[in-house]
Amino acid sequence: MSELRALWVPLAVAAVAIVLLVVDVLTHPHTSRRWLGYFVAGALAAIFCATFLFPTDGRAAHGAFEGSAWTTSFQRLFLSAGVVAALGGLDDVAKRTPHRVGEYWLAMLFSIIGMLILPGARDLVLLIVAFELMGIPLYVLAAYAKTETKGGHAAEAALKLYLTGATSTAITLFGLALFTGMTGTTRLDALAGAAGATTPLAGVGLAFVIAGMGYKLGMVPFHMWVPDTYQGASTPFVAFLSVAPKAAGVAAMSAIFLFGMRGHPAHWAPVIALLAILSMVVGNLLALPQTDLRRLLGYSGIAQMGYVLVALASNDTFAAGMTFFFLTAYLFTNMGAFLVLHVAAESSGEHSAASLAGLAQRAPGLAAALMAFLLSLAGIPFVVGFWAKLYVLLAAFRAGLVLPVVVGIALAVVGLFYYLRVLSAAYMSEPGALKRPELGAPMRLAIGICVVAVVGLGLWPKPLVDQSLAAATSLLERR
Amino acid sequence: MMRPILLALTALLAPALVALSLAVAPSVRRRGAPAAALTILASLASFGAAVALLFEHSARLTVPWLRTGARVIAEVGVNVDGVSTSMLVVVTFVALCVQVFSLGYMHDESPPAFGRYFAYHALFLFSMNLLVLAPNLLQLFAGWELVGVTSYLLIGFYYKKPSAAHAAVKAFWVTKFADMGFLFGLLTLFVATGSFSFNVALTPPVAVAVTLLFFLAVVGKSAQFPLHVWLPDAMEGPTPVSALLHAATMVAAGVFLVVRADPLFAQAESTRTVMLVVGVGTALFAALLALVQTDIKKVLAYSTCSQLGYMIAALGAGSMLGGFFHLTTHAFFKALLFLAAGSIIHAVGSNELSKMGGLARRMPVTFAAFTIGALSLAAVPGFSGFFSKDLVLEAVAGKLGSIPLALLVATAFLTAFYMGRVLVVAFLGAPSSDEAAHAHEAGWSMKLPLLALAALSLVAGFFAAPFAKLHGQAYHFHFGGVAAVGTAAGLLGLVLAYTLSSARIARATRAVSELARGSAVDRFYEYSFRRVTLVLSDSLAWVDRYVVDGMINLLGYRTIDAGRGMRPLQTGMAPDYVLAVVVGAASLAAWTVLR
Repeated sequence: MSELRALWVPLAVAAVAIVLLVVDVLTHPHTSRRWLGYFVAGALAAIFCATFLFPTDGRAAHGAFEGSAWTTSFQRLFLSAGVVAALGGLDDVAKRTPHRVGEYWLAMLFSIIGMLILPGARDLVLLIVAFELMGIPLYVLAAYAKTETKGGHAAEAALKLYLTGATSTAITLFGLALFTGMTGTTRLDALAGAAGATTPLAGVGLAFVIAGMGYKLGMVPFHMWVPDTYQGASTPFVAFLSVAPKAAGVAAMSAIFLFGMRGHPAHWAPVIALLAILSMVVGNLLALPQTDLRRLLGYSGIAQMGYVLVALASNDTFAAGMTFFFLTAYLFTNMGAFLVLHVAAESSGEHSAASLAGLAQRAPGLAAALMAFLLSLAGIPFVVGFWAKLYVLLAAFRAGLVLPVVVGIALAVVGLFYYLRVLSAAYMSEPGALKRPELGAPMRLAIGICVVAVVGLGLWPKPLVDQSLAAATSLLERR
Repeated sequence: MMRPILLALTALLAPALVALSLAVAPSVRRRGAPAAALTILASLASFGAAVALLFEHSARLTVPWLRTGARVIAEVGVNVDGVSTSMLVVVTFVALCVQVFSLGYMHDESPPAFGRYFAYHALFLFSMNLLVLAPNLLQLFAGWELVGVTSYLLIGFYYKKPSAAHAAVKAFWVTKFADMGFLFGLLTLFVATGSFSFNVALTPPVAVAVTLLFFLAVVGKSAQFPLHVWLPDAMEGPTPVSALLHAATMVAAGVFLVVRADPLFAQAESTRTVMLVVGVGTALFAALLALVQTDIKKVLAYSTCSQLGYMIAALGAGSMLGGFFHLTTHAFFKALLFLAAGSIIHAVGSNELSKMGGLARRMPVTFAAFTIGALSLAAVPGFSGFFSKDLVLEAVAGKLGSIPLALLVATAFLTAFYMGRVLVVAFLGAPSSDEAAHAHEAGWSMKLPLLALAALSLVAGFFAAPFAKLHGQAYHFHFGGVAAVGTAAGLLGLVLAYTLSSARIARATRAVSELARGSAVDRFYEYSFRRVTLVLSDSLAWVDRYVVDGMINLLGYRTIDAGRGMRPLQTGMAPDYVLAVVVGAASLAAWTVLR
């Protein structure tokens, strides 16, 4: 029974996926399947609420999976990402591929199941299986709509994602093989006492693992797929792709490094700090000259992940909590920004800053939402991004990571420059011939959720901070 | 215990509520007038609460915000004491005056723009009050950042004008650059002491590091050399906005930070020396630049930089009272000057001094108001600026071999001179344009704030003693040698401005007879003025424009170039990407082994 108690969240989502499959098959081929999106959003929302009512702690599969405050926090994050992605993508999917709606949501649910297992995985085999369960449906989804937008090709985007993804998986597996070969165990809780964990070869293995996972996070130099894929795939899907798998990647890295290798930070923390610095520098600088806003947000996302990794490299409970806080802030902010961008691009046919021209006059509410998201990305009070960046830098500085913090603060100023440029397109230029963008009810709801989260948590971050710290404590200080 | 807290919360939350409701109810905002009424009511409530707080005792309410385990890291709340109360009164009063003035000044805007303008004002007042009432440096920083954003919106209010949009971006960019110092300072302070308090004991090296970092942010916000470049450009915003942001509130926030964190700065003597040097240098430099401006708002803008230099110098000399009192009186008389200038611009339709002239008879209220402001700025005895400037001069006397004192006295002379010039050119003589000839006074909504601020500029100086008492210090006025020298410099400047300029105006009208009449003294003045001061000022203006400004622009462009330079790495070829992943992983592994 305790196994079920720990695993019920991913199992519930699996049940939803199976029901969806059956319903999809039974539905008459010529009826609209748009409502399947509502079904997915509703089911995920229900499971999200249920996590507050039913316990999710305990161990399963002989300790290979562990439910804790940390696991549940991340699960709620993925479930909310799923809700927003379902609401935001609902009309787009029904419009582009009216006869293949079911498979789309099925793939997304499978990917979410993988994510739900990752933060609780305490065995490297389970971890890598969950990681691939998360990743493979994403290749499918990237190619799904076969969209041909200006400057973007879904098939090409998906192929790049797949080729580099497969390479990185190979590298991760190779690294894990070396690592488990040296330590003699796949169990993360046994690593603390494993003699071989500090050997040079284990270090090489860990470097490969970091490289492979860093790919999923879009860390420099494994970031090249990010802008191309963001540009090519359908934007509502990119909203999901740009946040949920990244949070899941961080959850996986936390399990390996913060949970398993806590006692030996010298063997992994500098590598992560190095990648963090590279990501902040390259991401911010390359975001500057971008004209396509999807690419701009892609590079900005690379930079934002740099800040997360700075906190991760701190190897500290407070910092781990702030990692989660940052990821939550980033999830709602970035999803919201991509969804607004999608709406604006639908009405203008392109994804450059020109598509936002005069948005403040055409759709004041939408422009205000965009402002909240961009200010949050730029780290301005009182939207949640400000606290996220401040807390992460504070945590890292306290842990003694001076150089990454210095780089992070300096480049945050560069970040302001390109975020402001996007914002000024929306507020300080004339709409010209552009029309008022059309927003369906589900899209309104999706953007609304993001705005409420970004502004609400910006005004009163305390509950989330408390939750983040409790989660980090459950991961790091229980033993 | 409860009453001061409730009052402080009223002052803080009234504008916040209005800003929030205007944000969520666009229908109210877009109708314009209701938004203005709500905003002004909120400011009135804030101001009333602030005045009531003057008669209350100190109090503090904090709510834990961020904690690890049992330890509270950060708190939010309100902190009522002498410093925050007096600043709150200044900020809310000036904001109220400016908002009432805007009713008339912005009257021609369309209702949605009018409503938007007042919504920004409500948000700005909230941010400023948040900063002023902050019980710790973290909340102060949050307010500080929010003030920056709101000022961006206000400066860029005429966003359809490219120069205004550019100025807004520049102001934001430069102050944000400086804010890095604040953030670093906060982090360093936190790591060293585990708190964000303004009053903790630090080891000497940490104290110097933290305060120097804070001072970088002050240099940006309070427009000190070399980060002053944004302030003159920011004059692109509506004139009442300049009165609010660039006289009384936003730029004063930097000085306020130093006042607030005085216990920290008191532990770092070398930071104070740096402040003294930067303050005095900026005061003199900006005063010279003010001399050669032809735009009335630019004169006032450079004058603001210069006066902020005085405040920084006083704080650098260790006189918290001098810096803070000059901030207070300056807030009144500079807001007055900006609003009076706004009244002129409203009537004449131009910022150029050359389009004005002879306005004294046509706009008597504005003339009286501007004169009171100018005489106060020139530190004529009896006016409020005299008392505060005297405090500053007394504070720097004897520091660094009295060089700062000498330079600040010279600046006082220049200040009186350029203000005298503006008075003469704008108000005396004959009108220089049709608009000036037909100028007339605006309605009461614009006259009333002028009168209120003029009254305060006249009497604020006599409240130095109670002001000092609020901060637990004693103040006794005595007219000593420093005051005498300062006064003499100021009066000399005014007289010179009057004689020189009337001569020039006379020459413009009767060139021939002027040549015959021109005395040797006149010519000497004019020659030395042209040859020395003007050349100096012009060359400084050149350096300012092309070197300092250029370096800051260069920094920006270099960063963008760096971004462009990296672009070719992104080839778009899938094999290259795979290769990059493999090479990246391999080099990472190699680095791990070789490290």
